[in-house]
Amino acid sequence: MDGSPAGTTQDSALAEKAEEVEDPAAIAARDQAWTEGLMAVRAGMVGNRWVRLLRWLVLGVVIVVLLLMARNIATHSQPLAYFLQTIVYGLGSGSLYALIALGYTMVYGIIELINFAHADVVTFGGFISLSVVTAFGFKEGVVNGPLILLALVPITAGTMLVCGLLNITIERVAYRPLRNAPRVSPLITAAGMSFVLEGLMFLWKGPVNNHYPDLIPTGQLTLIGTTVRIKDAVVVVLALLLVLALDTFVTKSKLGKAMRATAQDRDAASLMGIDINRTIAATFFIGAVLAGFAGTMYGLYFGNIVFDLGFATGLVAFTAAVLGGIGNIRGAALGGLCIGMFEAFWNSYFVSAWTQVMIFVILTLVLLFRPAGLLGMRVPDRT
Amino acid sequence: MRLTRLKALALPVAAVFATVACGGGGTTGGGSSKGTIVIASDYPASGGEASTGIPEQQAVAFAVSQHQTIKGFTIQYKPFDDAINGVHDPQKGAQNATTMAGDSSIVAMVGPNNSNVAKAMIPILAAVPLAMVSPANTNECLTKSFSYCNPAPSELRKGSTNNYFRIAGTDDQQGPAMAVYAHDTLKFTKAAIFSDNETFGKGVADNFQKKWTSLGGTVVVRNDYDAKNTSDFKTYINSAKSGGAQFVYIGATTGNKPCIFKAQMKGILDVPLTGPDGFALDPQCIKDAGDNATNIYGTTAGSDPVAGNDPNAKSTIDAYKKVYSKPTDIATYTFQSYDCAILLIDAIGRAIDANQNGDITTPVFSYYQSDPTNTATGGWKYLSSQGVTSSS
Repeated sequence: MDGSPAGTTQDSALAEKAEEVEDPAAIAARDQAWTEGLMAVRAGMVGNRWVRLLRWLVLGVVIVVLLLMARNIATHSQPLAYFLQTIVYGLGSGSLYALIALGYTMVYGIIELINFAHADVVTFGGFISLSVVTAFGFKEGVVNGPLILLALVPITAGTMLVCGLLNITIERVAYRPLRNAPRVSPLITAAGMSFVLEGLMFLWKGPVNNHYPDLIPTGQLTLIGTTVRIKDAVVVVLALLLVLALDTFVTKSKLGKAMRATAQDRDAASLMGIDINRTIAATFFIGAVLAGFAGTMYGLYFGNIVFDLGFATGLVAFTAAVLGGIGNIRGAALGGLCIGMFEAFWNSYFVSAWTQVMIFVILTLVLLFRPAGLLGMRVPDRT
Repeated sequence: MRLTRLKALALPVAAVFATVACGGGGTTGGGSSKGTIVIASDYPASGGEASTGIPEQQAVAFAVSQHQTIKGFTIQYKPFDDAINGVHDPQKGAQNATTMAGDSSIVAMVGPNNSNVAKAMIPILAAVPLAMVSPANTNECLTKSFSYCNPAPSELRKGSTNNYFRIAGTDDQQGPAMAVYAHDTLKFTKAAIFSDNETFGKGVADNFQKKWTSLGGTVVVRNDYDAKNTSDFKTYINSAKSGGAQFVYIGATTGNKPCIFKAQMKGILDVPLTGPDGFALDPQCIKDAGDNATNIYGTTAGSDPVAGNDPNAKSTIDAYKKVYSKPTDIATYTFQSYDCAILLIDAIGRAIDANQNGDITTPVFSYYQSDPTNTATGGWKYLSSQGVTSSS
């Protein structure tokens, strides 16, 4: 080689360009180093006497709280009825949290993105079905009895479809172009989409609480002093069915298999002939279908819906997903139920201003003892 | 003749308070004019809030027209508008206050309509001093010292003598007012008490609870919920139900979901919901409660002479209606504004010694019940107005 200056410049320019693109191997190596570093820190902490002591202390506090709760449960004037009633209400809100948590967990499982906009899609679903319900003039007293279900089923189905399409659009516009960008970028666009949706819903329905007509037929069953209304039963049973259906779908169907393959190793899946874009879009679609259902159910069950509902609810639902083990569908369902139940118990037996704090204390504790969540996390292999 | 701005005026106003409060004063004066005394007012008189502010102004003008002279002085009226873009604005209020302070013929003012405007005006007018009498401010921190008051009333006046008076009951008296009503009129004994855990809501619920227990009532459950993160009230309702609550009191504003609480009571606990003016008379509350909007009781600060058909006020109302005949000429605080003007005119005519901090000693509260079918009134029905003598 003649080593002309011009040639050198060109070479170094090429080298610079290559560095800018940064090959996947380098990223993997860096991620590996990070992971190892974190593991080392964790191992160091586990070995530390003070950390062990702290764990025992925390365990002690938890036991004291549980004992206090047990005392409150036992000393209540109608211990059994009140206890069972609390379980019924806990299951109701817990199954809604579970439905929302599924959307978070599926998306995180497949592309490691916290989809902040997910809970806003839930709210959006509630708004859509509310608009349709209002447009048809359905409200309490106008239509009664089981016949209303004939109208509610197609309305809910339509809402689920619209939400699915919306979420696919969001994925196409805000997440897909950033799929290979540093992980924080899609996180920011997710937060951005959340604000965009909230803003649109604010313009659409205003800042006030919107009343959602109580359309599910009234009627109740009383057992051992515990009331189960049709509403409570409908929410819990339908949510349970949906979770089971989703679980079967992901484990048994071809698309489900493709989703699991993509989640496990995107490149290998792609080599096996799986259409990655289509699979990821399908994941978003399914998550949002559940969101549309959850939004409608939320309105019917709680009787109101407000534009910024997604913020608080989303945080709790995401917590549920992490609690159960992020990426794990059964985990998300379990986490949602646990948090709903915990909320109900804390509100019933303790000072409720502390409920939110305690939820996050529980989360911290679970992660301290079981970092992968209750049922273990399922996230993409990066190496 | 130039009228010195009496430091003394604030004191006669206080004295009149003890004697007149919420009545109509008598006319005094006559003879040739010794000079001119100007009474000002400060209300939101443009934009959306003009529906309240204009009738308030008219009421002052009407009072002045009834009492054109006093002890040889001619009385004139000068209204100020504190609204910017249709909303009451503390900054504008402060500007108006500065103008009033610079005009030595103005001896006192009626208003303002809003507590936050009063908060901006008091420091300026206390230094003059120039007496203010408000028909509508309910924030307790304007006159009473509580730990959460920032600034405390004395700081607000910056060491000057008190110049601020009002005829509206204060927020800290509203809770007790409903406790008395639930105990004496509704004849209840067991209450479930909740609040949205905010300054106003929690304060009013605390004061309700204090009064309720002192009246011998039982509290079956007391809980403060986190309004931002709570939309499921069924566990609270269940706790009220299992304790045998005969009614629920919620200290909250409409946005913090008290009426959604009522909606969720459907099918679980069929008892009345009671609460403060945070949601009383608010049509949004009726909407929130859906088909369970019956049996909501609320208080507002002040009497309602029109809906209440107050016989003492009848001649004044009729005379006012002759001059201002449109239905929109009477709004929430119109006749309270009239009372304030009469009070000032009366005070100007007197020179007596007087007492302390500018609140009335027998605040009146009006009680309302939800009436969802009555759309003309936004879904609320007037029940009664009562003076609450034994506030906590």
